[in-house]
Amino acid sequence: MTTDVNEPSETPEEAAETGTLAARIALKQRAGGIVVPVMTALLAFLIGGFVVLATGHNPLLAYRDIFNGAGLNWVFHPTTNVANTAAYNLSQTLLQTTTLILCGLAVAFAFRCGMFNIGGQGQYFIGLYVANWLGYDFAGMNPVPHILLAVGAATLAGALWAGIAGFLKAAVGAHEVISTIMLNWIAIWIGEWVFGDGGPLQNAANKTVPISNDVADSAKLPVFWGQQELQGLHVGFFVALAALVVFWLILSRTTLGYEVRAVGFNPEAAAYGGINVKKNLFRAMAISGAFAGLAGALDMTGYLYHYGQSDIPVSSVGFLGIAVALLGRNTAVGTGLGAILFGALLFGTTHGLSSNVIQPELAGNLTYIIQGLVVLFVGADVLILYVWNTRRKLRPRARARTKAAAA
Amino acid sequence: MAEEVVLEMKGVRKEFPGVLANDDVDLDIRRGEVHALLGENGAGKSTLMNILYGLYHPDAGEVLLHGKPVTFASARDAIQAGIGMVHQHFMLIPVMTVAENIVLGMEPVRDGVLLDERAAEARVRELSERFGLVVDAASLVSEITVGQEQRVEILKALFRGADVLILDEPTAVLTPQEAQELFGIIRSLKADGKSIIFISHKLNEVLEIADRITVLRRGRKIETVPREGATEASLARAMVGREVLLEVDKTPAQPGDVLLSVEDLHVHDDRGIEKVRGISFQVRAGEIVGIAGVDGNGQTELVDAITGLRKLASGRIEVAGRELHQATARRMLDAGVGHIPEDRQRRGLVLEFSIAENIALHDYAKPPDAHWGWLFPARLVTRAARLIREFDVRGGGPLTRAGGLSGGNQQKLVVAREIARDPKVLVAAQPTRGLDVGAIEYLHRRIVAERDEGRAVLLVSLELDEILSLSDRILVIYEGEIAGEHTGVVSEEQIGLEMLGGKERSAA
Amino acid sequence: MTEWAQRLENPLSSRLRDPATSGYAGLLLGAFAAFLAIPPIQTRTVTWPIVVGIVAAVLGIWTAARGRRRLGIGAVVTGVVGIGLGILATRSGVGNLNAAFNASLIAQMFAFSTPLVFGAIAGMFSERSGVVNIGLEGMMLMGAFWGVYGADKGGTWVVGLAVGAGTGALLALVYAYFAIHLRADQIVGGTAVNFLALGITGYFFFQLYHGNYVSQGVSTIPNFRIPFVADMHFLGPAIGNLNLMIWAGWALVIGSYVVVFKTPIGLRIRACGEHPRAADTVGINVYGVRYGAVVLSGILAALGGVYLSDGFGGGAFNDNMTAGRGFIALAAMIFGNWRPFGAFGAALLFGFSSALALRLQVYSASASTLFNVLPYVLTLIAVAGVIGRTVPPAADGKPYRKQ
Repeated sequence: MTTDVNEPSETPEEAAETGTLAARIALKQRAGGIVVPVMTALLAFLIGGFVVLATGHNPLLAYRDIFNGAGLNWVFHPTTNVANTAAYNLSQTLLQTTTLILCGLAVAFAFRCGMFNIGGQGQYFIGLYVANWLGYDFAGMNPVPHILLAVGAATLAGALWAGIAGFLKAAVGAHEVISTIMLNWIAIWIGEWVFGDGGPLQNAANKTVPISNDVADSAKLPVFWGQQELQGLHVGFFVALAALVVFWLILSRTTLGYEVRAVGFNPEAAAYGGINVKKNLFRAMAISGAFAGLAGALDMTGYLYHYGQSDIPVSSVGFLGIAVALLGRNTAVGTGLGAILFGALLFGTTHGLSSNVIQPELAGNLTYIIQGLVVLFVGADVLILYVWNTRRKLRPRARARTKAAAA
Repeated sequence: MAEEVVLEMKGVRKEFPGVLANDDVDLDIRRGEVHALLGENGAGKSTLMNILYGLYHPDAGEVLLHGKPVTFASARDAIQAGIGMVHQHFMLIPVMTVAENIVLGMEPVRDGVLLDERAAEARVRELSERFGLVVDAASLVSEITVGQEQRVEILKALFRGADVLILDEPTAVLTPQEAQELFGIIRSLKADGKSIIFISHKLNEVLEIADRITVLRRGRKIETVPREGATEASLARAMVGREVLLEVDKTPAQPGDVLLSVEDLHVHDDRGIEKVRGISFQVRAGEIVGIAGVDGNGQTELVDAITGLRKLASGRIEVAGRELHQATARRMLDAGVGHIPEDRQRRGLVLEFSIAENIALHDYAKPPDAHWGWLFPARLVTRAARLIREFDVRGGGPLTRAGGLSGGNQQKLVVAREIARDPKVLVAAQPTRGLDVGAIEYLHRRIVAERDEGRAVLLVSLELDEILSLSDRILVIYEGEIAGEHTGVVSEEQIGLEMLGGKERSAA
Repeated sequence: MTEWAQRLENPLSSRLRDPATSGYAGLLLGAFAAFLAIPPIQTRTVTWPIVVGIVAAVLGIWTAARGRRRLGIGAVVTGVVGIGLGILATRSGVGNLNAAFNASLIAQMFAFSTPLVFGAIAGMFSERSGVVNIGLEGMMLMGAFWGVYGADKGGTWVVGLAVGAGTGALLALVYAYFAIHLRADQIVGGTAVNFLALGITGYFFFQLYHGNYVSQGVSTIPNFRIPFVADMHFLGPAIGNLNLMIWAGWALVIGSYVVVFKTPIGLRIRACGEHPRAADTVGINVYGVRYGAVVLSGILAALGGVYLSDGFGGGAFNDNMTAGRGFIALAAMIFGNWRPFGAFGAALLFGFSSALALRLQVYSASASTLFNVLPYVLTLIAVAGVIGRTVPPAADGKPYRKQ
């Protein structure tokens, strides 16, 4: 309570900093539209290109090869024949895109409720494990119920795993970043255990290798582009696209989505309107985890079929989901597009590159660098504020405001 | 007592977007005097002092220290020049001790690198004994009382060699006994040759402690008078003035049944201090009851309690005859209490939501807006379109983001939402804060219209003009109690007096 | 008066009746129950651990009933877990137990905990000034790679330490700029920094060394052999021949305690982390202090990383070598309530857990996994407030805007 009610109200920059996480990202979106994500991505690629150049490789060739490796050159000569390299590459990219869409949604949904779900990787793993378990154990069931069982249970498991963090946040205010990071590592170690020597999911046939059983044929998702043995693109792709729609529907067409968004933008006003803030924090985390768990389930039943101890450390889809969601500004369309971009990067850098341009390992790490830069720039509002300020300077009323506030 | 002028402010002018906070203000402070700065909310007192303390830069005018012009780039410069300020919101670190808080930034050192805690405590003790500021140097700030915290702030300023001490509404957070202790401290500081600037709105205190009094009103200095000869009435007249901003045409009230009944209400604020000390009143259908008072006398807590946002310590609230015991906001809403909140941007609206979504904030889960959890945005939009027309909300349509509306239209939005729910009781807290004249006029007419519809309206406002022009009955709140009740014609001076703690007393 | 000071003033009887006493006693007894079954005590009957564990649980229930619910539940859980571990241990072979639990385990505990100590103290400096540093993992990784690179190209491990520290400082500077000047969201920024570090170290690891362990014979950080002690029966393997950095870590703990709590600069750092506006109004340069603290945290974390590769790892670097240790270090800092000795204790606990996990791998994969997971579970319990409230600095994570 100050005695002076004539204090100047917040400038947009202040609002951009002090609002909730969801409000800040929404502000960014309004301020920049699609221009800013594109600029962010371009800047990241540019800097990545400099790193490549500085270490003696040709960035343009490297990027071209990544482009081809990802199968994006398919658009120049479309064909459904999977024997065609570009078509095959594209199918593989879309395979990654499927996972990234869902992992991105996992992060995006939590962000919409004002929370940062870094636990996508762990929730993904839990989904993988459960899908593998149920996919193997109930061999002999009819395909449709078997798939539904494995995928459904895995999704639920992911939801519960994230729900732990959500519950802790709602009940005692524990910061979800810490708890989800811890849960990530716990999930990783659970994986090391279940697939390791004597672990419950270790394959029955060969007890010397720390790899799981294969999922039963009845639990494998049908492949529609390519062949199952050659890792074709499975129907999970459509599930992921449907998930984008579901994401949008929940947020814009249900009371649950309304509450989640209200809590994300302004918990005080939400409480004032009668919304139960704590319940929504839990729900949002659980739904986030469901998306990530679904990603794990689809990957397991779609093309992985088994998983091993050595696969765990190299998986990074959960973390890429963060970049995807942030680049896509937590919207359905943005997440979809961001998933395509990073899916292309992910696959294009690990395959399809010839060593005389740039080695695959280098390119793989390049993905990390680009990912890091994207997240850094998105988090920094640098570009956004620049664009915002430029637009404001063109408006005289705004100019007077900045002068007064700076006085 | 030397009449040497230590500090002077000449022709100071400070403007913020839309408002002139200080308009050509002169002020001079003498050595060893207690100079009170008196004025209502929005008079410009805090702005003036923030300029003196280096936190704001004046648009025009100058500040002279011992006759020489000075410019302060920041608080640091002001502190170095010997000016100390004790803000209303203390700048103390709860997890550190009193001594640590006081020496922060000027820490005594031993052995070259280590913090000399003992020296710090000794110096603090020395200062506190000299000025009668009793405080335990080794206790944690989180464990001392608010009165003691204030003493720590004063010691902080003295530790840095302040000769001029600015106290911003110092008794706002004190009990009466603590206030008397503070006055004792002020007197001993005075005896030591320090000058005190005492910002306040409380007439009785000002008359007790000040040597000279400067009155500000709406950014201008009205007068500077010595204490001798000043009375509460004369000061109130200077503070409140005679202008009435808006006259609203209204027919006489036709009060009906009692719709809101408040009995012996006691409410605490977030710090545990009792802010509402046994208030009782009733509001009938078809009448507007205005609660007048200066900010900080318990109005916020009173409104929070009535709308279910804060628990009662004790007392009874009845709406339309039904007692609502410790009801939540939801239950109050459902019981028919509408609330136009004090802070529309923080509490009343989700700025990122569209107008339609904001209108649905209370009832989004019920038909026709939603059915079994499925939302029908189209219905929200139709309802919003209707309300936008009815309440003349300008600046966009149902899908426009609420944050893009002007303050006045945002408030109209909040009002539209509340009234559309057909409440029995309408609680309006600062409904026209920060609005332009046109919006104010519209809202005032609206409030009167709702009264004529048979609602019971409780109006809480810091703007006396608003209370005077709208209310059928006026209650004055001072320090958590009802200091006066008036129906019919009453003079502004009388109300002003009661708001400031006076009855019909003059200076002792 | 602080809580502890008040407690010490109270007469003995009221101290004994204080529920906090029974709570902490319960926790200790629960741990003791497990300790009974391992060398040196190595009781072979299950009864002792069970009895002690039950006493712990009872104390826990008593504590919970008298108001300290979370502490009480913690004691009950520790009691039950202690019984479980005690049973497990009594069921294992004596030979196995002796092999697993011997004096060199202590040395390994110190070795495993040292990167954590450096990381936790690093995090403490940063967070005490008000900046959350999730990027510790990345800074540690930079130190791990560039430290070995420096030792390789520069010839000695000293150069390695310097180069490693430098890269940590550089990454921290980038992060500090985004977090302090641009007031970016600190969690997002820290996550980005981790990705960057992973990419950069991996990229140059392949570019310069083609993914092979750095060249043979690279200079590693030496051990410090204490003349008489190294030959003693128990103390010898335990502390007689520890790496220099382990000793440096201990010095760091003591040093950081003195700096943060006993010097003016420490007071100012803490002020910036608790109430930056108050610090600003008394003339402290909040931005400057925060920059300094974050860069220092980058240096310290990187030094921990250099130890990981050039000391502990014998001069070898692996892709993503830190494997989450930066996060465990953060956990240790939180578990230790942002205080040096608390963080040190937590780091020791987590280091013990990891060392034990390594040893048990030969005998029981599940037990090994259990101890690998333990640090994370413990931290989860800590943030849930079971053992007591973890209280971060009040302004931790909130960007500061100068007026």
